[in-house]
Amino acid sequence: MLEACILATVLIGFIGIIVKPNLLMKIIAMDVMSTGAIAYYVFISSRDGLSSPIFNQETPLQYADPVPQAVILTAIVIGFSIQALMLVGAMKLAHHNPTLETNEIEDNNTP
Amino acid sequence: MMSLTIIWIALPLFIGLTIYLLPKLDRYLALATVLMSFGYGLNLFSSQTSQKFQLLDNFGVSFWVDSLSSQFILTNALVTGAVILYSSFQNKTAFFYSQAIILHGSVNAVFICADFMSLYVALEVIGVAAFLLVSYPRSDRALWVALRYLFVSNTSMLFYLIGAILVYQANHSFAFTGLANAPPEAIALIFLGLLSKGGVFVSGLWLPLTHSESESPVSALLSGSVVKAGVFPLLRCALLMDELLPVVQILGISTSFFGIIYALFEKDAKRILALSTISQLGWMMVAPMVAGVYALAHGLVKSLLFLASGALPTRDLDELQVKPMYSGLWLILLVGGLSMSGCPGFLGFSAKVSTLKSLSDWPEIFMNVSSVGTALIFGKFIFLPHKWQGGHLKPGLIVAALLLIVSLLVGNVLYLQAYSLANLGKALAVIGLGWLGYWLFIKRQDLKLPRMFEQFDNLIGSMSLVLIVLFWMVFT
Repeated sequence: MLEACILATVLIGFIGIIVKPNLLMKIIAMDVMSTGAIAYYVFISSRDGLSSPIFNQETPLQYADPVPQAVILTAIVIGFSIQALMLVGAMKLAHHNPTLETNEIEDNNTP
Repeated sequence: MMSLTIIWIALPLFIGLTIYLLPKLDRYLALATVLMSFGYGLNLFSSQTSQKFQLLDNFGVSFWVDSLSSQFILTNALVTGAVILYSSFQNKTAFFYSQAIILHGSVNAVFICADFMSLYVALEVIGVAAFLLVSYPRSDRALWVALRYLFVSNTSMLFYLIGAILVYQANHSFAFTGLANAPPEAIALIFLGLLSKGGVFVSGLWLPLTHSESESPVSALLSGSVVKAGVFPLLRCALLMDELLPVVQILGISTSFFGIIYALFEKDAKRILALSTISQLGWMMVAPMVAGVYALAHGLVKSLLFLASGALPTRDLDELQVKPMYSGLWLILLVGGLSMSGCPGFLGFSAKVSTLKSLSDWPEIFMNVSSVGTALIFGKFIFLPHKWQGGHLKPGLIVAALLLIVSLLVGNVLYLQAYSLANLGKALAVIGLGWLGYWLFIKRQDLKLPRMFEQFDNLIGSMSLVLIVLFWMVFT
């Protein structure tokens, strides 16, 4: 169930990128998609258990795998910086295309 | 070797930031980094070793250096070196050099990493650095083209991320070798990411606009080395797993024809070069074992041609037919075109022969047809009119072209066995056939293919179709 919801988030983000005409909405849709991808990492790492991986002699733990959570931090930072770059690009483009409709920007800027 | 590799991989990133602090030394620092990279590649190539390192423990970053990566590293060093030499005669700011060096370093990182997570990081750094280079002129068009590139590459990398975690789930490790136990959807998702990043087949339709609308040094850098960063991991995977080899080969053959067919009906010089890049990527994928030599041959020629295209009076081939260009420039185009068509004497010949030799029956037939197509496309450049009066070459172009052409000639030593009578005859016959085809059909036709599929929404939408096709290919 949870997995289905996460994959649906990815899909909704992906469809949003295609369907939404506004550049800003497309950027936000891409963020939704990356949220889905990040959530999937957290989901996979919690498959075997939920507690923190701290060794305990009395009771063996069902712990959450720390590796995917650690690596996804990198992806979050990269995603955030790319988001920032794209928004700066959109800001610059907005000077001459105030509506930010992608097909208009595309018509104006393709040879 | 391990500490040398770590220093070599970290240095470009460090120098990239230093260039900001010491803007007066920008080109010298950049050149020194490229020289060091070249030395590392040459050392690796001559030692012919294959080594794997694991930094930290089981979950750390893993590297894998061998002769395949050494050839790609040499390509990257020569291409970046030529671009920096070319740019140092223009008034580029320190920002340009710093981004170019960071791009150089991250492309190098792709060529040695052996796990999906470090590959992801390297590919994303490439995406950001390439975005900044493409948008360097700050015009609206450059911004849009760069934004479109970043959008496509980031969306495909999100699919790749999902594929990477599926590999981890099956193996508890991100190493390339884990792909063998991974479910088919993981392979399909990872391949989608790499195909879009490398610009292969339908996923590569973003490439013509991006490469043709950038400034010529940036297009040279993108076409010469950056696209290979997407293809290299595919080659590694195909070499590691025999089941994936036919998938990569079929994609390679389709790509080589896809690029050629598009390029045949194109009149814009820079777009033809970009489309021919797509078709040449197919050549690399069809024979992963010898792809290094081919990558070197293609990278050198493509950056040479893109740098030369910056000096053309106009990009429209129809106008160039009536307006003769300067003969010196034409000579550069001639050398590039001949090497690309596989004319004996240049590295392109050895690369083509070694690729064809390593193929089995049916791919070989397809690739022979494809090499006639390549000769045909470059006939468009070779048969342009030219004259010696009233023109000169810029010093930057002369220096860069000398470096690239000398490397093309010296590169022949990589595979001297290619020079047999049968191969020489075949190469000349292929070129003759291609040129005949050019005079008979292509010179007169006026058809244009629609550019509808290069629209932004279609680029993103086609990813879902490619994903389905890939899944089907891997599944069966």
